[in-house]
Amino acid sequence: MYYFILALLPVLSIFLQSTIFHYFSIKGSIPDLVLIFVVFHAVFRGERRGTLYGVFCGLLEDLYIGRFIGVNVLAKGLTGYIMGKAQGNVFKENLWVGIITVVAGTFINSLVVAVLLMANGTVLDLEVVYSVLYQCLYNLLLAGPIYIWYYYYIYDGLMRAAGEN
Amino acid sequence: MFKLLKSKWFWLILVVVIGAFITMNQTSLPREDITLLEKAVHGIYTPLQNGINDIRGHWGYIGDLVSDKRTLQNRINELEKRNIQMAIDNQALREYEAQAKRLQELLEFKEDNLDIYDLQAAAIIARSPNNWNKTVLINVGANAGIQRGMPVIHPDGLVGRISSVSQNSAQVSLITDREMAVGVILQRSRETNGIVEGTGSSDVLRMNNIPYYSSIEENDRVITSGLSANYPKGIVVGTVSKVNREPSGLLLSAEVKPAVDFDRLEEVLVITNYHPPPVEDEETGE
Repeated sequence: MYYFILALLPVLSIFLQSTIFHYFSIKGSIPDLVLIFVVFHAVFRGERRGTLYGVFCGLLEDLYIGRFIGVNVLAKGLTGYIMGKAQGNVFKENLWVGIITVVAGTFINSLVVAVLLMANGTVLDLEVVYSVLYQCLYNLLLAGPIYIWYYYYIYDGLMRAAGEN
Repeated sequence: MFKLLKSKWFWLILVVVIGAFITMNQTSLPREDITLLEKAVHGIYTPLQNGINDIRGHWGYIGDLVSDKRTLQNRINELEKRNIQMAIDNQALREYEAQAKRLQELLEFKEDNLDIYDLQAAAIIARSPNNWNKTVLINVGANAGIQRGMPVIHPDGLVGRISSVSQNSAQVSLITDREMAVGVILQRSRETNGIVEGTGSSDVLRMNNIPYYSSIEENDRVITSGLSANYPKGIVVGTVSKVNREPSGLLLSAEVKPAVDFDRLEEVLVITNYHPPPVEDEETGE
């Protein structure tokens, strides 16, 4: 059940990001729910699981998009790794942890995607910076409520049910 | 160092990184067909996205039922007024059409008007799940005869091209996508050739490679030139909103406001029988 829900979260997130969130976009920017779940998984489970989950979620997103397959695999994998490395030093009970890690994760993920796209010859300009900032703002708004939900239902509830705590 | 080489974790990451770079390279250019895995992913999502689109449609209908009668009456009056104006415009345009046809016959011009194309209507059921790609998913696919590369338009102007096709859905790369480029000319002067590229923003495109001596001005309408062979000639792309001089001084660039409102786009038309014309001397812009 635990792994089923873990797999379902990015599937559902991509569905929401491709449909409903576009009706509520901020200046044309939508949030990255997939990234939020990757960051939280890394924060709670460490760098190895964070990386693997990032790679899995990134692959699903890349297969859906069908262009530059591998960009999100590397970006979300690396974000999962860095956030997982940082998690040893923080108290996970603090809501600020969820908010700050999501903001940091958004910047790391965007930076990796931008570097990989430019390496593939895509021309990026200042519009990208605005787009990342708006996405960061949107992710920040969602980070708090999702962190609370994730902490109580995924981390606390399901971990115990799976006997992995 | 040797300890690292013995680690399964290290090898796993290495395989993922190398694999990602290979697939990125392989999929950076447009492909003839997408893989079965991608089709399977689209197959799972398409019915769900269709469902959401239907619910949204019904919700709009319920909203109309309960909305204020006066608002609806105002809307009807406004539309009636627009209809009268369009009927007058239509009458004038028909005269021009007849005149143009006579002149075309006289000059043995090949007809390249939009009315010779077969159009397949489609609804947008989903959009790109991130901010990097500007794509939309439409509810017709291979089953309706849609093929990769077909131009996609809207009554307001050019939308983009079909970039990949599944059984019951197709992905359209919008002209606002950073990977898209369209050969254009100015409708007024018919001389200035340029290339319009997407910026990733839905309300601004960039027109490049404009010679410095061009008579480009703000509010000039930009239309497809037909030179890129990807789109028919004469489709409206947008209007020039700002002209800039490049640092080299030899070329100009311009910001173009797209004719289509990409954030509100709900339905599009796919041109299913467009075959690019063979390159002729008269089309090289000499």
